[in-house]
Amino acid sequence: MFRLGHRDEWGFQLLVNGFLLLVLIIIVIPLWRVIMTSLTPLDVYMRGGTPMFQWPWEWSFAAYEQMLTHPVFPRATLNSVIITVCGTALSLFLTVPLAYSLSCRTLPGRRIIIALILFTFLFHVGLIPVYLLVAKTLGWTNNILAVIVPPAVGVTNTLVMMRFFEGIPEEIKESARIDGANDLQVLWQIVLPLSKPILLTIGLFYAVHYWNEFFTPILYLNDQKLQPLPVLLRNILIGQTFSEYVDYDVTRAASIESLKSAAVLLTMLPMVLVYPWIQRHFTKGTLLGGVKE
Amino acid sequence: MSKPKIVFKVALFALVLTLIAVACAPAPTATPVPAPTQPSAATKPAPTVAPTVPPAPKPIDTPSKPVDIEMWAQATSTQAPAPPDDWIGYKVIREKLNINLKYVIIPTGADGETKLNAAAAANALPDFFQAVSTTNARNKIIELTKQGLIAPVDDLLKLMPTRVKTHYNDPAAMDLMKIDGKQMAFVEVPNLPRREGLVIRKDWLDKLGLKSPTTIDELFAVAKAFTEKDPDGNGKNDTYGLGGFFDDTGGPGSRFAFFFGAYGVPDLWDWERMDSNFGLSVRRPEFYKALVEFRKWNEAKVIDPDWATIKRDEFRIRWPQGRYGIMWEDFAALAMAANYPKFDKNFPDGEWAPLPAPKGPDGKAYYGAYGAIGAVFAVSKKAMDAGKGPAIARLLEWMATPEGYYLCGFGVEGVNYLLDKDGVVTTEGLPDPTKAWTHESMARYTQWRNQLIFVNDPKEIKARYPDHKSIKGRTISPMAFYNFFSTQPWLNSKPGQLIVNPPNRADLQRFYNENFQAFALGTKPLNEQTWADFLKALDTNLKANEWEAAARKTLQDAGILKK
Repeated sequence: MFRLGHRDEWGFQLLVNGFLLLVLIIIVIPLWRVIMTSLTPLDVYMRGGTPMFQWPWEWSFAAYEQMLTHPVFPRATLNSVIITVCGTALSLFLTVPLAYSLSCRTLPGRRIIIALILFTFLFHVGLIPVYLLVAKTLGWTNNILAVIVPPAVGVTNTLVMMRFFEGIPEEIKESARIDGANDLQVLWQIVLPLSKPILLTIGLFYAVHYWNEFFTPILYLNDQKLQPLPVLLRNILIGQTFSEYVDYDVTRAASIESLKSAAVLLTMLPMVLVYPWIQRHFTKGTLLGGVKE
Repeated sequence: MSKPKIVFKVALFALVLTLIAVACAPAPTATPVPAPTQPSAATKPAPTVAPTVPPAPKPIDTPSKPVDIEMWAQATSTQAPAPPDDWIGYKVIREKLNINLKYVIIPTGADGETKLNAAAAANALPDFFQAVSTTNARNKIIELTKQGLIAPVDDLLKLMPTRVKTHYNDPAAMDLMKIDGKQMAFVEVPNLPRREGLVIRKDWLDKLGLKSPTTIDELFAVAKAFTEKDPDGNGKNDTYGLGGFFDDTGGPGSRFAFFFGAYGVPDLWDWERMDSNFGLSVRRPEFYKALVEFRKWNEAKVIDPDWATIKRDEFRIRWPQGRYGIMWEDFAALAMAANYPKFDKNFPDGEWAPLPAPKGPDGKAYYGAYGAIGAVFAVSKKAMDAGKGPAIARLLEWMATPEGYYLCGFGVEGVNYLLDKDGVVTTEGLPDPTKAWTHESMARYTQWRNQLIFVNDPKEIKARYPDHKSIKGRTISPMAFYNFFSTQPWLNSKPGQLIVNPPNRADLQRFYNENFQAFALGTKPLNEQTWADFLKALDTNLKANEWEAAARKTLQDAGILKK
């Protein structure tokens, strides 16, 4: 709240709020335009593009209808959900113990392990060696493990989580050990309950990554029954672009731009819904994990 | 920790484990059951009249044990899924050809090529696949041959006499995939070649009392009038004489090829000079003259100035809005029943008429250059070594017989299509129009039609591109546009498929494109000195001269260029 009478503070608050308002406008306008484009009827679009505002009774949901009624849409959505849920669970399952171990300063060879982890971050092996390992050695073609396992441990996420764990006072862990708890019990019963912000934050990072996973499914999942939502949406959009060349009945009530916008919003939606729920932990998680004392 | 919390955590852990187990389970094996909406082809006699498809030959001997064939090919309709497991086609292929066919859709563009490259690097290429390439299919085949990953198919051609007549009947195209005298891949029938052309708003011409232009100078006068004299009569200065976009297909791009064609240089390569002077078109003084003229058009603002930045989608939003009086467009995108109404609704009295190739100052006139070839398919060496070659030939041969042709190209007769009295495929009179082969929901049943099935026979084309009526009742005939466009003077650039791209192709292309646009738009001075500097930089910085020398040698070795 403004404290009236302090002219400097008034000016400062005005400046800050003005700036935030500007940022808000910069963010909201493109998003608003995407929403409007997705709702613009084809005849309006062909007459003059997308208007910045349309009355609700002028909206057309044809683009959403086309996406949602696609014969493999439910299957693709389910695949994306499975990949996201399983992938995030596996990632957290692997990242938490790794980050916790590395946060223990008494761990033998800790610096070397961290250096090795950083090495994989700085020098990526490239597509072909990973493909050889996943498709040939492990034989995971047409298996969603190929999408879930290779990116299961993210270096950045591990390091951020490690820093968070390092910030938990050693005295708390020590008191548990005095009470007879072993390291696993300390992690499970002491550290994790105190680490909700970082778990939710890193979990969101992983979930977003898996939800948007696009290229790996193209590479490893030949069976269309396994393809996730981003691949399907891409195919629909490319199909619409090419359809003008082919001998096909593609008369639609939605333009290609509406379809693109609808695809963007549909892909965003789950994450937009989840975000407010964990937002209060989000800043705390990244701040505490990202700062080293 | 309280008991409910422990129970909750255990339950959550179990749920995650269950989900992982479910997710990692292999995809269910397809159990072939007859499709409810697709009556068995076995119970219906196959159509006896195919456009050019001769009667089914004596079937190649089929082994008793079923052969598994994995085929990777792009989809004709990328928005549609692959045929379902219970598709009648798979059943027929299994029962009649003894082949368990597994069809994998590979993505279009760079993603598809990356997928193929990764499989090649792992020696995990499928048995039979479309050699997709974003640059040059021949280069891809050379690369795979050098790596020893694909096998010659000469022996397979002998096993498919019907298909050789219907699909592999263009020796020039097939020769492109010959490496060291061996046929390393099949070249399928291309999508209709020479299908794009120049069109003009006839209603605008009539309104302004202008006659149809035949030369570049006349075209300029008409374009100027279309820009400045309010041809749509709306009182606004919102029209351009010429509309287009830069499509980065080499040279001036296909959309402005007609313009440079009037000077004899419509393509990246100089196909007019098939001798020791062969090289890039920019070497010709005519290219410079054309560019000076093109710049004049830009300075006079008779071309939509956004041509260098807009893409095809934006272009196809603008012309139905009545922005352009003259443009270059694909005949189907212009006139098909699925596309024409966008324009028709806005301008019921509007009318597009095809324009012949405009003549340049020396009387030359080319619409453009055509060199596209059909999809290229190869057989992996692994498959050939495993003895799958004859089965692949059997499958391809069947696709060229009436049964395979109609089933994979149009669906089931009586359900997805009918044959009229002339033997032309039609959808009129079908009991359920939503099952018509042209209906989008049926697209999944004919996913190979553009890659492996269609032969561009007149009857087939008539079925694919039917006439329709405009809002005002005029007959719109896409084929009339196609027939006009395809019979204009074009230069044959098919030998360009032989030319191997230089390693710095991306840099060269970027430098070329940026300078072309800067000269044309007037952001860079264009005179003999700046043009000479540009040509010099092409050689000194980007070794274009070495690329040209290599191209000449390749074409001379192939017997296409005179030495």
